[in-house]
Amino acid sequence: MNSVIARKSISDHIEKIKDAEILVGIPSFNNARTIGHVVRAVQAGLAKYFPERKSVLVDSDGGSTDMTVDIVKSTVIEDYQAILLYHRNEPVFKMAIPYHGIPGKGSAFRTIFEIADALNVKACAVVDSDLRSITPEWVELLLKPVLKEGFDFVAPLYHRHKYDGTITNSIIYPLTRTLYGKQVRQPIGGDFGFSGRLAKHYCSKDVWQTDVARYGIDIWMTTEAIANGFKIAQAFLGAKIHDPKDPGADLSAMLHQVTGSAFALMETYASVWKGIQGSEPVPTFGFQYEVGLEQVTVNAERMRNIFREGIRNLKEIWISVIGNGDYNEIKALGSRLNGNFRFPLALWTRIVYDYALAYRKKILPREHLLKSMMPLYLGKTASFVTEVQDMNQSRAESAIENLCREFESSKDYLVNGWK
Amino acid sequence: MTDFISLILEPLRDVYAKFVRFVPNLLAMLIIILVGMIATRTISLIMLKLFQTVKFDSWSDRMGLTSVMRKGDLWAKPSEAVGSFVYWLLVIAVLMAGFSALNIQAIDHLISNFVLYLPRVISAILILAFGYIVTGFIGRAVLISAVNRGYLFAKLLADAVRILFIVLFIAMALEQLQVAPGIVVAAFSIIFGGIVIALAIAFGVGGIDTAKKIIEKETEKKEEGSKDVEHI
Repeated sequence: MNSVIARKSISDHIEKIKDAEILVGIPSFNNARTIGHVVRAVQAGLAKYFPERKSVLVDSDGGSTDMTVDIVKSTVIEDYQAILLYHRNEPVFKMAIPYHGIPGKGSAFRTIFEIADALNVKACAVVDSDLRSITPEWVELLLKPVLKEGFDFVAPLYHRHKYDGTITNSIIYPLTRTLYGKQVRQPIGGDFGFSGRLAKHYCSKDVWQTDVARYGIDIWMTTEAIANGFKIAQAFLGAKIHDPKDPGADLSAMLHQVTGSAFALMETYASVWKGIQGSEPVPTFGFQYEVGLEQVTVNAERMRNIFREGIRNLKEIWISVIGNGDYNEIKALGSRLNGNFRFPLALWTRIVYDYALAYRKKILPREHLLKSMMPLYLGKTASFVTEVQDMNQSRAESAIENLCREFESSKDYLVNGWK
Repeated sequence: MTDFISLILEPLRDVYAKFVRFVPNLLAMLIIILVGMIATRTISLIMLKLFQTVKFDSWSDRMGLTSVMRKGDLWAKPSEAVGSFVYWLLVIAVLMAGFSALNIQAIDHLISNFVLYLPRVISAILILAFGYIVTGFIGRAVLISAVNRGYLFAKLLADAVRILFIVLFIAMALEQLQVAPGIVVAAFSIIFGGIVIALAIAFGVGGIDTAKKIIEKETEKKEEGSKDVEHI
């Protein structure tokens, strides 16, 4: 493993700081528009809630060309009086460094973990650089359960628009909850708090040439923490509003990296999840309140079209994964693709489980296998969008809860197929 | 008259003598082929049993051999695929050994030519096998990508790419076999170039509307990209 700490510029920084109690990491790539706000919120949070603790802010950058790094270096809070009741005792050190390795969020996090390990910190937090809804309170909510309550991993809990986070809602949350028995609502939320002990655990893993180095990092962090028996909590952070991501980004690649990482972790921790039945809530910090959410518009017609094209063209691949019976059911769904079509929960659950099993059995090259799931996922999403369009947030949440129950009640199908 | 009869009988005697000399060779050939075929079948069955005992298929799964085969749309078990490859190799060897027992100069000559030609045949087979895997892999990748992008002619596009690759690999194999290499290269250039030009003309003239639709769709998609990525 090629450690970032070996680089002289970074080791000099670490030498200068020696050790710290708190580290907040921000992975960035061309986020000049939003990163200033994130850095200010983090600095304010550290100043307001942890004035007596030595803290480090690390921006792990993927080679931005739009002044992101300069903004991180130059951003300071002009008027501390507005937010502080008393002066900060310990300084906040700032590091803005380029990460090495496969370009991706995971590689950026790896650098943050290694610096946290080298500085022997007690608690870390990572927050996305494109957040527009972050407040200083996020820093407290993510770090305090670690520093004061002895938790090792704090997942975020947000209010999100009912159309937002559909990979989470239709695949990752039900699957993670069913497999590992913990109701972590946003397992790939992206903003986490974790202990120094867990950062060391992350550093000890050699996964940086896989999809974990890309979008797979979030599910990997959550699963590693749960499956290895670390103490888990979640913190209510309010609304998650973030900057629109790179328009060139490919959703198919994201789906493939996230689900691929989840399926790979199922192989690693098969002995852990096989015996788990049902699920339990995890301790939740923060005062929960209703928040106004930004409208998310989705093009359900386009999703239905891709689903239709999948039915027409991917028959052989789908039959090899989900079998003739379920393919015929999907084909029947395709023939009544109007605004009222519903993707049966049991069918969707079997599809996700069959894909996990096919991934394990390597019945196709894994990239092809995972990408062939995309039209099915879009069909399911289009069905969800039409189902919840007239529902309020809490009723939409009930629909997700129903899916989770279906996943849990069908777990034997997965366990039996795994043998 | 006696001379005349002996003139007729002499060739017949010669033929008979040659036949008598040839019969043991023929018998030897038949025995070699018969025993060889039985031995070949037995060896192949033993091999399959051995593969099952050492769990060759599971080993292939772990080592990624199965995955490589699936990439090329080969759905047989790895043990069966290797078994039948060895079987056919042994069949060829047995047939050659059998024919050489005939001791006929022309056949010996043919066999020695065949032996000299064998490396080319093997490399052509390898090219075709490799081509089969690559074509299957690329064809499937194009199909999935096109479907995920919502193209209306995904299957057609994937089939076109498959055909291009099949033409390419068949031309390479024929060139390796030295089957009229000049004509093969020329034919390949004409066919390949023809396909590309035909596609360009078809797309440029016949498919203006389709191209327009695709480009418009792409532009729309880029604008919608931010909505898509927020679905995580």
